[in-house]
Amino acid sequence: MARRSTPAEVSYKLVIGGLAGLAIAILVGPILVVLITSLTTAPSLKFPPPGLSFKWYEALFDPIRSRHIHVAASNTLWVAVGATLLVTLLGVAAAIGISGKRGVAARALENGFLGPLVLPTLAYGFAALMFFSLLGFRPSLPLLVIGHAVVIAPFVFRTTMASLTQLDPSLLESSASLGAGRFTTFRRITLPLIAPGIAAGAFLSFIASIDNVPVSLFLSNARTDMLPIRLWGMMESTLDVRVAAASGVLIASVVVLVVVMERLVGLSRRM
Amino acid sequence: MAPRRDGVEWPLAGPLGLAYTAFFAAPLLLLFAISFYDDSDLTRITGSQWVKFFSDPFYLSVIGRTLQLGAVTVLATTVLSFPLALVFCASRPSVQKLLLLIIIMPLLTSVVVRTFAWIVILAREGVINQAILTLGLSATPLPLLQTEFGLVLALTQIEMPLMLLPLITVMRAIDPNVVDASRALGASRWRTFFQVILPLSLPGWVAGATLVFASSVTAFISQSVIGGGRLVFLPSVIWQQSMVVYNWPFAAVAAVTLLVTVLTGICLLAALSVRLAGR
Amino acid sequence: MFSRHVDRRTVLLGATSLAAAAAVPTPALAKGSVTAAIYPGTWDEAYRSIVAPALKKAKDVDLALEPLFAVDQIAKAQAARGAPPFDAFVLDPGPRALAIERGLFEKFDASKLSNAAKLPAGFADAHGVAVNTQIVGIAYNPKKVPTPKSWKDLFGEPYVSRLGLTGFQTTFGTLSLIEIAKAYGGSETNVEPAFVEVKKALPKVAAVMAPAALPGLFQQGQIDICYTNTNNVASLKARGVDIDFAFPEEGAITFITTLHIAKGAENVENAYAYIDTALSADVQAQLMKPPSSMIPTNKDVVLAELPIKSLDELSKMRTHDWSKINPLRAGWIERFNKEVSK
Repeated sequence: MARRSTPAEVSYKLVIGGLAGLAIAILVGPILVVLITSLTTAPSLKFPPPGLSFKWYEALFDPIRSRHIHVAASNTLWVAVGATLLVTLLGVAAAIGISGKRGVAARALENGFLGPLVLPTLAYGFAALMFFSLLGFRPSLPLLVIGHAVVIAPFVFRTTMASLTQLDPSLLESSASLGAGRFTTFRRITLPLIAPGIAAGAFLSFIASIDNVPVSLFLSNARTDMLPIRLWGMMESTLDVRVAAASGVLIASVVVLVVVMERLVGLSRRM
Repeated sequence: MAPRRDGVEWPLAGPLGLAYTAFFAAPLLLLFAISFYDDSDLTRITGSQWVKFFSDPFYLSVIGRTLQLGAVTVLATTVLSFPLALVFCASRPSVQKLLLLIIIMPLLTSVVVRTFAWIVILAREGVINQAILTLGLSATPLPLLQTEFGLVLALTQIEMPLMLLPLITVMRAIDPNVVDASRALGASRWRTFFQVILPLSLPGWVAGATLVFASSVTAFISQSVIGGGRLVFLPSVIWQQSMVVYNWPFAAVAAVTLLVTVLTGICLLAALSVRLAGR
Repeated sequence: MFSRHVDRRTVLLGATSLAAAAAVPTPALAKGSVTAAIYPGTWDEAYRSIVAPALKKAKDVDLALEPLFAVDQIAKAQAARGAPPFDAFVLDPGPRALAIERGLFEKFDASKLSNAAKLPAGFADAHGVAVNTQIVGIAYNPKKVPTPKSWKDLFGEPYVSRLGLTGFQTTFGTLSLIEIAKAYGGSETNVEPAFVEVKKALPKVAAVMAPAALPGLFQQGQIDICYTNTNNVASLKARGVDIDFAFPEEGAITFITTLHIAKGAENVENAYAYIDTALSADVQAQLMKPPSSMIPTNKDVVLAELPIKSLDELSKMRTHDWSKINPLRAGWIERFNKEVSK
């Protein structure tokens, strides 16, 4: 295929290349700004920072001054772990029960389970608040686990379904014909093969819970303080630069986790 | 003794189904029911709040502006995503891995982190304005924060990954022979793109556009922190009416309207994809 | 590609780490604890750094603070229907009247407080007790604009293009807009003149924002003048922001902030301990210092480093009748939204 340096060729490369570059700048820029701002020496969130230091990270990890942030962070972790475990168990079971099945019920369930992905979580958060308060429940961490579980379930369900569709049915048939019961087949054939898909989905669900704001906005309070809400308050009303440091920690953790997950289960292929 | 049956296996799918019924469907039904009450203490049912909402041109304009925000964001992400997806498909595998990391990052960072980054970038004395003033492109700083432009820009970063991932998945699967054939037949790059690549990538675009529309329309934090008090969208009506004014039925009306708005957008996109596929 | 061996390991690895993370103990609150609602920003910081340690030291009670504006506290308490999400309210007069109307308070017994006697007459009643006096006026950046003299100045140059507007969702916003209306011929119940001025100023103002966003926008240089209380000004000044407080010539606004115990609260005794601590001369003297600069109500505290020299100056400032304002406020909030919407 001969290369032609026609005006069309050149303009194509310029426009496409330029727009792609702009896209990358928009994707990455803000994250870099956050990281650089977190190293500022000044007590304000201005960019560029007058000097660089780790003092805000020190302040963030100070157990006395930042105790409320640590409490919020551990609440958030606790809820994320609980919700992820819950949806992984239920979601994988549901995916196995629906994958490959024909019929209206199967299709309806499949679309239904993906519902929270597109329905506005803010409306759901408000609905959940009214629902629980009319039933007489006080805000609590278990309630948050339930609320988060609903909105993060689609991630693990979707990746598990994707893994199941890629399973070669002849593997299952040969296992059955060799005399293995359903559970043995599941444990020794299906599960190991879909494990990477489950793990990728569980990871996405976990991150979605950590980052969740709409549900936590309505269902949390001082006793069940969640990290994103606490950080939002700090950012707006006290301009605390520790928000930048906390953001830096969150970004760094996610980068590490993504690289790990990519190595272990090929995360990028499963999104 | 074949393990495959054609009906749903209820013992397996049941638990999640029950959980969804109890904790997802029920609250939403409750939301719908509450919207018909008159007052927050839930004593009278008259549907008056629905009348109040839909007979007020202000709230109708809020619906319109919310839809518009979604549409503009879809447009902005489309214009940026196609080029990046094309570059991705043309890159070496090692570059592709790096690009994927870059693309996934905004999705996995908390919305609080992203919003504060955009405040620092869009502020009067922020990154963009500093650059503009230094380069002499303008004598005074441009208002970027609390404008629709600034908001769409910030939303673009947040939503682009949602468009890029399905788009890349579909684009990667395009048979390279088709593209080669088009070029070999003398079509320019532009023509190849618009007449071969674009139509073949449409299913990915539709999936991405659906997610971007739904997500940008309900992005409450970004809308209120970056958009400011003058840009009123449905999510902020829901928040104000439920948590500040404490008018639950009215907030419920706004919430149901938001749900219907998103569903409408999704159905329109789905219909569009069916029509385009039929061509 | 992945062998089955690796996959099983992956699953086990993942499961183990998740289980290990789940073994992290839930952060349960200590036996003696109380959860109090507190205004976001200065109040949150001040109470966290001064009142919480004092309470722990004196009564071994842990204080958890939930940042909420007064109206949001009312909304959340009502939403929770008898199982309030916090034990203590901190309210301005308007929301206080609303809360009394809606029966959100536990009956208050001032005799349980050791510091009740130190308060001026009328500062404690069956609903709650006054912990602070607020002054609301004009905050401005002395490096960017000259000192404003009157409420009317806000809507003229050089101020209006640097102005940050906020609506009726908070007490300070409501009262500032009422005073602005009065300056243009309106009254406590007629804020029409304020709406007229706001409408005229909209194309020029620097920002229209949620009240909590005010400090951030000031610090980022997005706005250089707005209406707010002295505490916010002191706090921002302490962070190195160029900001000063101006008393409008028509009169600054003043009102009392009160603490109450929520009906159905979980920790009533600890709530009394918290309120007592917040009223003690020691704590109030510390709260009085910059950057919180809170005006004390405990008579034992000698005024120092405050924008006013003596409490008598307060009598010259404007106070308001919330029984007239409350019924109108929800309508004003909605009207403001509509007016400022582009």
